[in-house]
Amino acid sequence: MAKKLEQLLQVNKMDKHNNHIDSMFMRESLLDKEVMKTGEGTPTFKMLPDVHIVKIGASSFLDKGKAVTYPILDEIRKILKKERLVISTGGGARSKHLFSVGLDLEMPTGVLAQLAGEDCLGNAHILGTLLSPEGVIAIPPESIGHLLPLFLKAAPGVVYAGMPPYSLWEHPSKKGNIPSHRTDVGPIILSETFGFKSVILVKDVDGLYDNDPKTHPDATFIPKINVNELDKMNLKTLPFNRVVIDVLKSNKLCNSFQVINGNNPELIEKAINGEHVGTIVHNDNY
Amino acid sequence: MIEDLTQKLLSQNLEDPSLLEGTAQFTSKKLLPNANVIKIGGQSFIDRGKKAVFPLIKEIKENLPHHQMIIGTGAGTRARHAYSVGIDQGMPTGVLGLLGTFVSIQNAKMIHYLLTEEGVPYIEPGGFSQLPLYLKQNNAVIFFGMPPYTYWQRSPEIGKIPPYRTDTGCYLISEAYGTKNMIYVKDVDGLYTNDPKKDKNAKFIPSITAEELVERDLDDVVVERAVIDMMKSAKNGTQIQIINGLVPGNFTKALNGEKVGTIITSK
Repeated sequence: MAKKLEQLLQVNKMDKHNNHIDSMFMRESLLDKEVMKTGEGTPTFKMLPDVHIVKIGASSFLDKGKAVTYPILDEIRKILKKERLVISTGGGARSKHLFSVGLDLEMPTGVLAQLAGEDCLGNAHILGTLLSPEGVIAIPPESIGHLLPLFLKAAPGVVYAGMPPYSLWEHPSKKGNIPSHRTDVGPIILSETFGFKSVILVKDVDGLYDNDPKTHPDATFIPKINVNELDKMNLKTLPFNRVVIDVLKSNKLCNSFQVINGNNPELIEKAINGEHVGTIVHNDNY
Repeated sequence: MIEDLTQKLLSQNLEDPSLLEGTAQFTSKKLLPNANVIKIGGQSFIDRGKKAVFPLIKEIKENLPHHQMIIGTGAGTRARHAYSVGIDQGMPTGVLGLLGTFVSIQNAKMIHYLLTEEGVPYIEPGGFSQLPLYLKQNNAVIFFGMPPYTYWQRSPEIGKIPPYRTDTGCYLISEAYGTKNMIYVKDVDGLYTNDPKKDKNAKFIPSITAEELVERDLDDVVVERAVIDMMKSAKNGTQIQIINGLVPGNFTKALNGEKVGTIITSK
């Protein structure tokens, strides 16, 4: 690292177009493969290493009503007494309906991503309302980032809309216009930035199967898998956004997540305690 | 048809390839088919000061009556300094992206102040719903080029430098609005087989497809790799041009649809 820095500074001093501050990237193309490696392997500060992020699926729970949602919230209340949580949720059926109308109206991916954020925020407000007695409120994406450490000092948890705020800047999808960065990948990216202790995706299936267990009863359960291996399997259906695979491969702080079945709410606490109760997907740094 | 689609989306896994295949028939409306997205380089252009910037501002003013321009800015030298200090201080990529954003805001505001007399507004990501109005009124807006990913900036495959920077942010606006042109104003004639500033034997590439460019696996490319990668899935943003804005007249020619630099196409 020091040698590289010295070498790069050398290049700077030779430069004729001399209107630069000396630093290791000056006059270097940030697109040069060698320069891009800078910082690889250097330590990253963990902002919130004791905090867990829990994503509660909207299609799996909120949309199905309080019979399945309330037991999860009871469990969350219990956990909030000793742990700090970031709680996130998705857009569920309304986002799917939005995608349908939006696609038909020829809306670009970026517009669909922007609008889907509103469904998540609506669901976040439902959870925020139900968790108000605990001091847990729903925070819009504009505030959640830089204020998160402060919120978590004031209350044991916060709820936010799981959609990453990519909005009009959503990447073009490989097929069609449904946004690829949705509510499962959001917590995994946020955890990479904040260095959370764990990421738990609460779904209505036990975890990952080699086929959709709802339509294929003979599907085989996969308790633990390396993301590179998962990528190679090229599974038709996944219980999380496919882009999670790419993101997890590049992650340095958030190196795994666990998918668990929220129909057994007690699994949430077990997962938070580090127990293996669903499917753990991890990268090479795990 | 919309009824079928709704039922499919509600009942199937959104990651099912056959479902996604079925959605591919829906096109993206070109929302601003007559507009141009312009990206003014930070390191390559604005950091050079008035000898580079003023002639370009003059050309922008001359073209204001004839062309709609959505002008984004790069970050450049100060962002690199921030990345360098930030990496040393243990900052995660998400925070580095934020630091780069602040620099691209400074550059956007300077370009904005140079165009105040023309009434060209500076807009932030939340202000894009006013974009069509401003284009109708004044034919141009200025925005900062960084995509507003903030704490959601993904880590790069190697290293820590944010992979989605100002080239990408500008490209995605061109893709989302389906604009006529995406023009990158830089200080080189376009794409070379290597960095022409360091390798005198580097050869100029007048046009290339995104796929060919990925295959060539060049050590250095003139535009962020993420742009090339996204172009492979582009719905509307199927062409970009990189021009040398230091050559007078190049910018005007590019706005008029002439080829003056390197053109990269999706297919």
